[in-house]
Amino acid sequence: MSSVPFELAWLIPLLPLGAALLIALFGRWLAERGGWLAVAAGGLSLSLAVPIAWNGLQLREPFTSSFGWFAIGQLQLRLGIYLDQLTALLLIVVSLVSFLVLIYSIAYMHREGPRLRRYYAEMSLFLGSMLGLVLADNYLMLYLFWELVGLCSYLLIGFWYERPAAAAAAIKAFLVTRLGDLFFLVGLLLFLIDFKTLSFAELFSLQVSPQRPWLLGLGTLFFFAGAMGKSAQFPLHLWLPDAMEGPTTVSALIHAATMVNAGVYLVARTMPLLIRAPVDLLVIALLGGFTALFAATLATVNTDMKRVLAYSTISQLGYMFLGLGAGGFAQALTTQEGAGYAAGLLHLLNHAFFKALLFLGAGAVMHAMSDSTDLRRMGALWPKLKLTGTAMLIGALANAGIPPMSGFWSKDEILAAAFSGGHPALLTAWLLGFATVFLTSFYMFRLWFLAFAGRPRWPEGARPHEAPPLMAWPLVILSLFALSSGFLSSAGLRRYISLGEPHLMPARELLAQTFANPWTILSSGLALAGLAIAYLLYHRGLDLARYRTALGGSVYRLLLERYYLDRAAITLARRVTVGFARLLDRFDQAVVDGLINGIGRASVGLGQRLRRTVTGSINDYASWILAGVALFLLIYVIWR
Amino acid sequence: MTTFPLAAYLGLSAVLFVLGAYGLLISRNGIKILMCIEILLNSANLNLVAFAAYHRDALGYVMAMFSIGLAVAEAAVGLSILIALFRLKRRIDVDWLRSLKG
Repeated sequence: MSSVPFELAWLIPLLPLGAALLIALFGRWLAERGGWLAVAAGGLSLSLAVPIAWNGLQLREPFTSSFGWFAIGQLQLRLGIYLDQLTALLLIVVSLVSFLVLIYSIAYMHREGPRLRRYYAEMSLFLGSMLGLVLADNYLMLYLFWELVGLCSYLLIGFWYERPAAAAAAIKAFLVTRLGDLFFLVGLLLFLIDFKTLSFAELFSLQVSPQRPWLLGLGTLFFFAGAMGKSAQFPLHLWLPDAMEGPTTVSALIHAATMVNAGVYLVARTMPLLIRAPVDLLVIALLGGFTALFAATLATVNTDMKRVLAYSTISQLGYMFLGLGAGGFAQALTTQEGAGYAAGLLHLLNHAFFKALLFLGAGAVMHAMSDSTDLRRMGALWPKLKLTGTAMLIGALANAGIPPMSGFWSKDEILAAAFSGGHPALLTAWLLGFATVFLTSFYMFRLWFLAFAGRPRWPEGARPHEAPPLMAWPLVILSLFALSSGFLSSAGLRRYISLGEPHLMPARELLAQTFANPWTILSSGLALAGLAIAYLLYHRGLDLARYRTALGGSVYRLLLERYYLDRAAITLARRVTVGFARLLDRFDQAVVDGLINGIGRASVGLGQRLRRTVTGSINDYASWILAGVALFLLIYVIWR
Repeated sequence: MTTFPLAAYLGLSAVLFVLGAYGLLISRNGIKILMCIEILLNSANLNLVAFAAYHRDALGYVMAMFSIGLAVAEAAVGLSILIALFRLKRRIDVDWLRSLKG
C-alpha cells in the first residue's frame, strides 16, 4: 500500500467536488440523474482514502502540503492538507460511510425523478466539503469547509422544501448552527489577532505569549461553542431532531455519521492548544456528560423513529465530548496518556458505523411502511423485515453498549477515563454518563420492540416488504462494522490514536482487564436492565398505568414538551429579539435618521443664506476675491 | 545709469495694483476687465523683478518670466471666451451676464 503517495490526498476532496459540479451542470443527461457519477466519485475517494489513511496512521510527523492562497499585509493564508492520525481516522469514517450511503440512495431516492440531480449534486458537494474539512491544514480553511457542510446540511434538510415543516427545519438548523459558527469565527479572529497565524503546524508548535495566557483559553472556548452548534450539544441541540425532516439518507450521512462529528473533530484537532487551558476541558467534559443524559431522557418518550435516533445521536456526541475533555484533562495535569481522547475518537468511529446502520435501517422500515416514521403505527414487522430487523438489532445492541458490540468498548473507555480523571467535575460528568447507559439501552430497545415486536398497529393498506438489494448490502456491510469495529479498534487502531505516549496492552490482556473492572460489569448490567424493561413494557405489554403517579405524569409531560426548550427559544426570539429590534428601530429612526436629516436640513438652510452672495456679477466676485486677499493679508500682518 | 531706490519700484507697483483693482471692480466691458487683470499681474511682476535686483537673486526673474507666460495664456483664454461670448450674445458687457445668479 505504500505505493500511494500522500500528495494524492489532494484528490480525495476534489473528486466529489468535481462530481458535484458535473452533476449540477449535466445531471439531466446522466444515468440516475448523476447518482452513479456520485457513487463513482465517492468510490474513487474511498479507494484513495483507505491506503492514504492507512499510511497516515503510521506517520510520526504530520504530512503537510500547501500553497499560498492570499496575503493580507504580513499575514499569509494558505490552502493545504494536514494529514495525521486524526485526519486519517476521519477520512476512513467519512469516505466509507458516504460511499455506502450513496449506494443506498440509488435505491432509496429512486422515486424522486428529476430532483435527483439536485440531491446528488448536494450530496457530492457535502462529501467533498467534509473531506476537505478533515484535511484542512489551517483554521480558516477548516472554517470555509465548516460553513460549506453547514450549507449542504441546510439544503438537504430542506430537500422537500414544499413541505412547510421541512423548510422550517432547514431554516432552524441553519440559524442554530450559525449561532455556533459565529462563536467559532470570533475565536478564529482572536487567534488571528494574537498569534498572527491560523496554520495548525505553526499554532501547535507556538509558545503562548505570556502577556495574555487567558486568550488561548478564551479562543479555544469559542471554538468549542462552534463545535456545540455543529455537534448539537446542549443548548444548541434544538436543530438536530427537526433536521430529520430531510431524506433518511441525509440524516444517516450528515446528521449521524459525518457532519455532526465535525464539532468533535474540531475539539480533537484543537487538543494541543486545549491542554494548555484545562478549565476549558472540564467545561467540555461536563457539558458533554450533561448533554448525553439530557438527550437520552428526551429519546425515551419520542414516538418518531428518526427523532429517537436523532436524540440518541446528540447523546452519543455528548459521550465523545466527555471522552475528549477527560482525556485532555488527564494529559494536561499529568503527563500520562489521556486515554479518554482515544476513547472519544474511537467512539466517533464506532458511532458513525452503528448510527448510519440504524438510520439506513430506519430508511428501510420507512420504505416498507410507505414513509411513515411513527412508532405507534408499526409493530410486528419482524416476520416481514428479517434482514432490516437483524441489522437494526445489531445497531441497537451496539448503540446500547452491550458487550461485545462496538458501542460498548469505546463508551466503556470513555467512562473509565472520566472516572479516573481526578477532578470532581469529571466525576460528575462520569455520573451523568453512567446514568445515560441505562437510558440509552432503554430507548434503543423501546424503538426496536415498538417497530419489530408486539402486535401490528399498521395503518390501513400497509404491505411491508423487504428492501431491494442496493439498500440491503450497505446494511449488511455496516452491520459487520457495527459488530466488529469496537474490539478491533480498541485493540488495534488504538495504538495510533493517542494523546501522549499510548498505554498499550495485547488483546487478551485488554479483554481480561475490561471485564475485571466492576464498573464495567455494572454498566453492562445497567444496559441489560434497560433492555429488560423495554422488553417488559413494549413486547410483553406490561401496563404502566397502574403505577402512574402525579410526579411521573408531570415528568412525562415535561419530556414530551422537550423541557419546553423549543418554546423558550421561540419566546426568546419573539420577546427579546423582536423587542431589541424595535429598540434598534427607534434608535435608527430618531438618532441615525435624525442625524442624517439634520445634516441635510442644515445644509439647505446654509445654502439659502449663502445664495445671496452668488449674484452672478463678475465685479462682485472680483470684490470678494480682493476683500478676501486683503483680509488674509491683514490677519498675516497682525498675527505674524 | 540712474538707480532708483527699491521703495520707488514698490510704490509704482502699488499704484499699478490699485489702478488695476479699481478698474477690475468698476468696469463692465470684458476687454477692460482683462486689461485690468494684466495691470494687476504686471504690478506683481514689477515687484518680483525689483526684489530680484535688490537681493541679487535670479529666482525673482524666473518667477516673473513664469508669470508673464501665464499672463499670455490667461489673456488668450480670456479673449477667446469674450469672442465666443460676443458671437453668442453680440455684447461684451459683463454686468448683464447674471445667469449664474444663485
